[in-house]
Amino acid sequence: MGVFVFLPLVLPLTAWPIARLAEQQLHPRAATWLLATVGGVLALCSTLCLMLLMVVGTAQLPGNPLPDAWADPEVRAVLPYDEVVGQAAIPLLAAVAGACAHLVWLHRRVRTRATRALAGLPEGRLAVLPDDERAYAYALPGGRGTAGARGRIVVSRAMLESLDARERQALIAHEEAHLTARHHRFLLVAGLAARANPFLRPLRTAVAYTAERWADEDAARAVGDRRTVARAIGKAALVSRAATGRGAATALVGFATAGPVPRRVAALLGPVPPAPALPPAWTAAGLALWTAAGGTAVSALASANATVTLFTVLRAATVL
Amino acid sequence: MTDEDRRARRRGQGELEAQVLAALRNAAGPVTAGWVRERIGGALAYTTVVTILSRLYAKQSVTRERAGRSFVWTPAADEAGLAALRMRKVLDGEPDRGAVLASFVTALSPDDERLLRALLDGADSVDDVAGADGAEAETGD
Repeated sequence: MGVFVFLPLVLPLTAWPIARLAEQQLHPRAATWLLATVGGVLALCSTLCLMLLMVVGTAQLPGNPLPDAWADPEVRAVLPYDEVVGQAAIPLLAAVAGACAHLVWLHRRVRTRATRALAGLPEGRLAVLPDDERAYAYALPGGRGTAGARGRIVVSRAMLESLDARERQALIAHEEAHLTARHHRFLLVAGLAARANPFLRPLRTAVAYTAERWADEDAARAVGDRRTVARAIGKAALVSRAATGRGAATALVGFATAGPVPRRVAALLGPVPPAPALPPAWTAAGLALWTAAGGTAVSALASANATVTLFTVLRAATVL
Repeated sequence: MTDEDRRARRRGQGELEAQVLAALRNAAGPVTAGWVRERIGGALAYTTVVTILSRLYAKQSVTRERAGRSFVWTPAADEAGLAALRMRKVLDGEPDRGAVLASFVTALSPDDERLLRALLDGADSVDDVAGADGAEAETGD
């Protein structure tokens, strides 16, 4: 497999240009799908190669449960720098597994706790909580085994009272879009990818933004006026900031630096985004798209190649 | 395993609190813990009912006043109020909730805020329709 086994570990870098450009140039729905898919595939390939490196590394440890033949010089010859990289892959893989498990655990816990908080309320899509101090609105995804399998929209009274009737409609339509399109899955995939390979972190920020934009556009279509949605977002952001009184200090992790709210408002005040279509290859968006697609393909090929090589070598070694 | 147990017990407490609150809300006026106990079926020990009431009092979900040697209790918040308190606890306690709950808006930096106000002002000057019933729609500053 040679040096190519390292390719999937660094090829996520090819996703960087697309992360920025997809936000601006593609329809938010296409951008979310593209970025989450590219991120997921690149993360899988990267983890697979890490696992291959780990197998080679583990085989050299004294007292390991793998066949002794797997540590033969012939096997080690297929992997450059096998002592260093092979051993380093073990803690790295453990770190990746730990980080991903932690994210899934967090994901479950927030959903369970939020669902339980609503337990006493009457059934219904919309849960308005009588909180007059804190302005918030959330889409709480439903799941198997939880009440309200289709999910619920949680809005505080402070949030509703800061909006007029049409803006409330826009807010509800936005959260409804999150639930219908199951945006939390895209966010989870992007989050896991970012933990599997730190080079994929920009993709997670980008997916968080494009998912919001996707819901904004759906809300604009439902309400029939982009300006109303823009005003609802703007007012909600200003009133949340005023209500918490802590401003940017309460930033949700990873979201604040990019200033997504003004960008969303500006996008809604601008023209309707283009329908999902492949951009021509000679534009910046097209170039970024092909770079990302190429990187993903090479990454997939390299990890497949490494898997097959290692499998063949190990089988040969075991037979000997 | 123990975590599972704790979770089950906590849910049990939440249900009991809801039951006690429902009983209090059905009362005509301030009532004693004994009255609440009878009202919810009498299966609970008197001390348990008092414990639940005290816990609700600590959460400011009920109010109490002294009547003779014991307290009489009145509900302060209904189930929705309790849910709001619980939800606030979730939101405060989960720094990473952004990864799970898609919030309508995210935090603003001071620069974002200036930019946002400029954008909204621009939109309003072009847009003479304005909200139909937007009288209460002041955003505060």
